[in-house]
Amino acid sequence: MVLAVGLFASMPTFIDTSWISVFCEILILTVAASGLNLMMGYTGMISFGPAGLYAVGAYTTGILIVRAGAPFGLAMIAGPIVATVVSLIVGWFCVRRTAVYFALLTLAFSELIHTVIFKWYGFTKGDDGIVDIPLPDFLSSIDSYYYFTLACTVVCLLAMWIIVNSAFGKALQVIRENPNRAEFIGINVRKYQLVAFVIQGFFLGAAGSLLCGFSHSVFPTNAHWTKSIDIIIACLLGGIYHFYGPFVGSAVYILLDKVITSFTEYWSLFFGVVLLILVLFFRGGIAGFVSERLSSVTHEGS
Amino acid sequence: MLSIQGLVKKFGGLTAINNVSFEIEKGELSSIIGPNGAGKTTLFNLITGHLRPDSGKVIFNSKDITTLPPHEICRLGIGRSFQRTNIFPRLSVFDNVQAAVLAGQGRCTNIVSFSKNLCREETFHVLEMVELGDKKGFPAGLLSHGDQKRLEIGIALALQPSLLLLDEPTAGMGPEETAGIADLIYKLVRHQGLTAVFVEHDMSVVFGISQKIRVMHLGEIIATGTPADIKGDAQVQRIYLGEE
Amino acid sequence: MFGAQQWANNKAAVPHHIVYKSDEGAILSNMSLQALLMQLLSGLSGGMLIYLIAVGLSLIFGTLRVLNLAHGAIYMLGAYLCVWLTSSLKPIPGMFWWALVLGPFLVALFGGLVETVLLRRIYRWHFMYQFILTFALILIISDSVKLLWGGGFRSITYPWPLDGSIKVAGGTFPLYNIFLVAVGVSIFFGLRALLHFTRLGKVIRGITYNREIMSALGENVPAVYTEVFMLGCWLGGFGGALATPLVTVSLGMDMAVIIQCFIVVVIGGLGSLTGAFIGSLILGLLDAFGIMVLPQLTIAFGFILMAVILIVRPYGLLGKREYE
Repeated sequence: MVLAVGLFASMPTFIDTSWISVFCEILILTVAASGLNLMMGYTGMISFGPAGLYAVGAYTTGILIVRAGAPFGLAMIAGPIVATVVSLIVGWFCVRRTAVYFALLTLAFSELIHTVIFKWYGFTKGDDGIVDIPLPDFLSSIDSYYYFTLACTVVCLLAMWIIVNSAFGKALQVIRENPNRAEFIGINVRKYQLVAFVIQGFFLGAAGSLLCGFSHSVFPTNAHWTKSIDIIIACLLGGIYHFYGPFVGSAVYILLDKVITSFTEYWSLFFGVVLLILVLFFRGGIAGFVSERLSSVTHEGS
Repeated sequence: MLSIQGLVKKFGGLTAINNVSFEIEKGELSSIIGPNGAGKTTLFNLITGHLRPDSGKVIFNSKDITTLPPHEICRLGIGRSFQRTNIFPRLSVFDNVQAAVLAGQGRCTNIVSFSKNLCREETFHVLEMVELGDKKGFPAGLLSHGDQKRLEIGIALALQPSLLLLDEPTAGMGPEETAGIADLIYKLVRHQGLTAVFVEHDMSVVFGISQKIRVMHLGEIIATGTPADIKGDAQVQRIYLGEE
Repeated sequence: MFGAQQWANNKAAVPHHIVYKSDEGAILSNMSLQALLMQLLSGLSGGMLIYLIAVGLSLIFGTLRVLNLAHGAIYMLGAYLCVWLTSSLKPIPGMFWWALVLGPFLVALFGGLVETVLLRRIYRWHFMYQFILTFALILIISDSVKLLWGGGFRSITYPWPLDGSIKVAGGTFPLYNIFLVAVGVSIFFGLRALLHFTRLGKVIRGITYNREIMSALGENVPAVYTEVFMLGCWLGGFGGALATPLVTVSLGMDMAVIIQCFIVVVIGGLGSLTGAFIGSLILGLLDAFGIMVLPQLTIAFGFILMAVILIVRPYGLLGKREYE
């Protein structure tokens, strides 16, 4: 991990600006995907609606800066906090259902959030979005924002690492493996699922806030369900059963997207095929595939 | 210790449990037998809170637990192993048991310390008890059937229950393994002061270690007694005619 | 990343926005019986169109337990095929009807291919993988459509002999919409008849209830699965073809419609065909009257209802408890 951070930190000196923003996007998606993966990979709760919470974070930050003139730092922190509160409310309803119904309910709420953002012109400026969001001077260059995002990402991932390796994290995995049995070793499954949901909300909101600063704007499309698909694919591509899965998935996803769109307009077709291959042959994602290879190599060695 | 009073459970038109009442004393090792469909697993489900009875009460250590959710009943000291193996497949054997230990101690809300280092002693102790110590790194899903059943029991034990409910603990096992499990259950009751009730179809285990046997048929307890009593009971023989 | 902007703005492709405005305009206070009747009719026909699309989804989920995200893409495929067959081949009057027969049939064949090659492998897997697989299909199908027919907008007019309108309670209402209602009702009864009175239907119901038993009884379950999937795709393609005179046929119509289908299927109950019928009508009427009352929030009504149903009664109005 330290190696990766070092690598990323040194990026701006070697690579030119356009790629810096790509890496920035990767980091933002990593935060979002890691948050989602706490629920998907560790607790086994498949959500179709992370985009809603992501957009709540983004819009909170945007609205606070533009309409309330709030200082940048405050707006940035408020994003994840508001997202956490919203996820508490949404999550309370959602965790009362399981599997497909849970997923559909998260979708319904996400689309509701999307509709509210879209329609509430007075507050969110609807389809026009909020643009020209100013950043404080010390963050005005893409390089400096990159470092800021990197710092935030590292902090988030560190927090996630601690959570995932704690007893609580173990309990979540136990819930994923067998919710009925988990119930009968004394875990109040619903409560733990709600906490996982809320933590996910925090991370998604944080990613949204980072996006707000990154693109200096927010749009209702941040809440569209296709954005949810982005985040879900980042998790799956990387591997939902590994801590670094979301990071790997985000990086590969965004890089692949940039590469493919640069030489064809039919990137959907390529992506569709990539996804098919992923689902049919590499369900563990890239991280899963790599760790399988590594373990077979080490076994052969011993 | 456990008092079942007038439990009734219906599923649509079918009465699965029909006014069942009995008492379990502390330190008792008893079994429940009966043909398939007699309602044994349903009875366990009613006790552990997985099902709610239509009427009747379940009292555990003077506390009415009839309407409590499973995770709370578990906290009060009732452990259970399940008929169909119910473990955590992708986690290692160690993790399976450790999770139960942690949950039993209420330490699963701990979000800060690395779980790897928590409760290692207790976990190893349980693993030794069910003789899975050497397989602690194995993913549970890859264990043999017999080992998975041991793990089942291990998970139930890790909670340090005072009452253990075992649903067909030796199902699918060969004679040696079966004897091993029977021995384990016997030792747990005799030397560790547990109370155990198990459901079994393997009569060698039932008659081998039970102090008391209850026979269920069509949702009712039709006979209760020592192994000798039950062996001689004509009604029981009639029910089992063609089964053994 | 997936061009959400394009899809989010493509309201014209959403079939439920077929709202027939009465001569007096849509103001609640000036509501006359005539205007109400107009809205009622448009709500019914709009709902019926959604039913025709959503029923395939419901059928596939009910029997195969697969939530086919790509159903919207199937609908789009049906629409494009119909338009292509109608306007690009010999433009004889009545070509639409041939397209209506041929188009969905081709879509069903495609569906059969998808099922046997791809879907078959993943029935036992966690539904998340079905979700991703069917999403991948959306990408592939929609880009293939783009490849074959380009990204422009298309439309066709009401087909002869249904290009007129009839006088209803003082106003006029398109004949085609009445036709839609008739088709919807026929399909509803047709499916009921299929499921209850034919041997295939009985097998389908048996499999829906318990796959293993049917297999043990010697039924060729995989073949039935394929047939059901093909039927579901046929219905989706048929809905697409029927929708062509009413909606703008363009890329993005798949995304817009799949959400509507989800709402309908949730409200009616996952797997219940009658539920899909009722759910569609509810959605259609909700939209038609919602536009009169609270136009700003009309889009939200569907989601609100969906959320409420999932919270209160997740198996929908007519779904079975077993799915929980």
